[in-house]
Amino acid sequence: MRKRAVTGWLLLAPSLALLGGLVVFPILYNIWLSFFDKHAFLPVQTFVGLRHYRYFATDAEFWSSFRHGVVYAGATMVLQLGVGVPAALLLNEAFRGRTLLRGVVLFPYMIPTIVAVMLWKWLLNDSYGLVNYALTATGLAAVPVAWLGPDWIMTSLVITSVWQFFPFVVVTYLARLQTIPPELYEAATVDGASTWRRFLHVTLPQTAAVLFVIVLLRSIWMFTKFDTVWLLAGEGGVSRYVRTLPVYAYARSFTYLQAGMGAALAVIMFLMLLAATAVYFQMFRGEETFA
Amino acid sequence: MAHVTSRRQFLRGTSAAVGAAVLGKAPAVLGQQVRELNVWHTEVEPQTVKTIQDTSIAEFEKKFPGFKVKQQALGWGDLNTKLLASLAAGSPPDLTHLNPFMTASLYVKSLLRPMDELIRALGENDIHEATLKLQYFDGKYYGVTHAMGATYFAERRDLRETKGIKPPDTYADMLKLAEALTESGRYALQMPGEKLYIGFVHPAEWLASNGGSWVDDKTWRPQLNGKAMLETLEYVQKLNKFQPGGWSGQKYLDTLAALATGKIAMAGLSGARTIGYIEKYAPENLRTPEAFMPLLRPHGPSGKVGISALDGENWAVFTQSKYPNEAFEFLRLFYKKEHYLSYCHSVPIHLTPIFKSMINDPAYLANERIKKWKPWHDVMVTGLKTNRFLPIGFSRPSDNALPFLAELDGSGIVADMVVEVMVSGKPPKAEADRAQKRAEELLAQLGHKRWS
Repeated sequence: MRKRAVTGWLLLAPSLALLGGLVVFPILYNIWLSFFDKHAFLPVQTFVGLRHYRYFATDAEFWSSFRHGVVYAGATMVLQLGVGVPAALLLNEAFRGRTLLRGVVLFPYMIPTIVAVMLWKWLLNDSYGLVNYALTATGLAAVPVAWLGPDWIMTSLVITSVWQFFPFVVVTYLARLQTIPPELYEAATVDGASTWRRFLHVTLPQTAAVLFVIVLLRSIWMFTKFDTVWLLAGEGGVSRYVRTLPVYAYARSFTYLQAGMGAALAVIMFLMLLAATAVYFQMFRGEETFA
Repeated sequence: MAHVTSRRQFLRGTSAAVGAAVLGKAPAVLGQQVRELNVWHTEVEPQTVKTIQDTSIAEFEKKFPGFKVKQQALGWGDLNTKLLASLAAGSPPDLTHLNPFMTASLYVKSLLRPMDELIRALGENDIHEATLKLQYFDGKYYGVTHAMGATYFAERRDLRETKGIKPPDTYADMLKLAEALTESGRYALQMPGEKLYIGFVHPAEWLASNGGSWVDDKTWRPQLNGKAMLETLEYVQKLNKFQPGGWSGQKYLDTLAALATGKIAMAGLSGARTIGYIEKYAPENLRTPEAFMPLLRPHGPSGKVGISALDGENWAVFTQSKYPNEAFEFLRLFYKKEHYLSYCHSVPIHLTPIFKSMINDPAYLANERIKKWKPWHDVMVTGLKTNRFLPIGFSRPSDNALPFLAELDGSGIVADMVVEVMVSGKPPKAEADRAQKRAEELLAQLGHKRWS
């Protein structure tokens, strides 16, 4: 018995080593680093205990980054659902060209983030962008809108992100829609239920669990999104108007060159995610029981 | 009949090809080690990279057959990050470009090698004073500038002259000019929106042009809410209404394109590189110095002369460099007259020679682009003669001793202040006070607080 246990542990060892080296160690190292005042690249460091955490508790930049993160994650998540769910419902219907459209709708999700951001920066440019050209040519705007200026940069970021990530909602929701037994709709139709009623009493209850997963995953992913935010505005003067926590953590580490403070921010975000994940598991377990 | 290749034949053929390729590299693989001299620099134009390869590198590899030179051209934002990472890893390049505002912080950590012997060999007295002592600490030289390129406004000279207005000398003149050049469908001015420029390069120029400085000379206490900065913030807030609304979200290269295509009358940050844009995108009849010219910066009410940033990284050799002697040998070849002339001609005027004897040398001036755009070269020479330039990020010459300019730039504190004042129209004093507080905190965190 003992020999079998040893063999078991030996077989597990490579996985444990990988997990330890690639997941546990970086997290522990990051936590350790957050207690130091450490230059990002030079061998200069001093132990400061919880000082960085105390600093961020009253740091205006931290709280504005947190607010931006919540607004960004909330707005993009709601709009992704608002666009993605109707698109999935449409693509679940039978019509000519449906297969082609199902492929096309995935396009924004497949292209690299840098390409998506460059594309939208071109479209929204206030000097030569197509969007402003269309707005002024049709008389909807008297002067070009400064989409990339402070007043509109968050809107532009949300538009870019929704365009890029709504296909995830489409694909996930569509996959669930295709597994709903058609008999349920047939029975509802026989009972005289309208389209809206069928959606409300058949589709929605059947897809509640997947919607729940989409909302949680997309919220977490958008809250921790770095690349889209950074590429759209990270190095520009307007960055402070869309600076989210991941961008602030990056800035502290690699532009302020304060690796210790960057690590502390990463730990704070890690704890936030941990809390969100706990909620996710708790509620998801409830859904499973219900199902 | 089609020839069919079996799996066995394919594997045999592939193995033979791989074997031949390995044997082709025989000296390296079989013991005779080829050493690699790593050279990093910031001149990313393909023709410049090719010129370095064909001149200095070709001669170096001929002279030192055991060496292979590997050059890497990187934009200076990328180079800074990569360089610091390589230093942290203990394996920096043998030779690199370095921004003058970073040199002090590396010098104080004893990471740089002195290069007095090289400077003397190149001709200490012939190197222009604008660059000679930027890396001079404790009686030794720790760097030598690769070439000089001034930055300034690039203007539509024809439009200004049509209005009968002289080049602006003061902030007030500039506001009048901007107002006169604003017309339907065209803005007077566009500044670059990158944090690096509006949060570091331009504010340093503004401070220098208005009698101010980043920090107090003795205590290093930041001076962001001092008179020089406050006057400037009020000026740039007024200047903002002559810019396109979305300028803060656009980049330096967007401003050059906007200038060349007639969407603006002045680009806020420009160098001789702009000529390339003009020659490519401006209407053909306007591709001349009569239509496009540089303008030196105006000065503020508390300053005496407008100061522009001088783009000119220095070569540096690290204490950890693997082949320092060869790096110095490479530099001797780099500055060899025929090589250096070719290098400077790869981006004419933008890469102005550091040697006084060469700036007006007929061999240098014989270049076609310099001949055509001679007035641009003359502005460069005038600026050098009248001390109108300071290295990028410097508010005064002694800033070369500040070991925290890179961190101040990276923090975005100044950029936040400028954008809030210019674009959001917030009160300069309140924003300056906020930036001052943040800058004081940053310097204290970095261990540079000398004030009580």
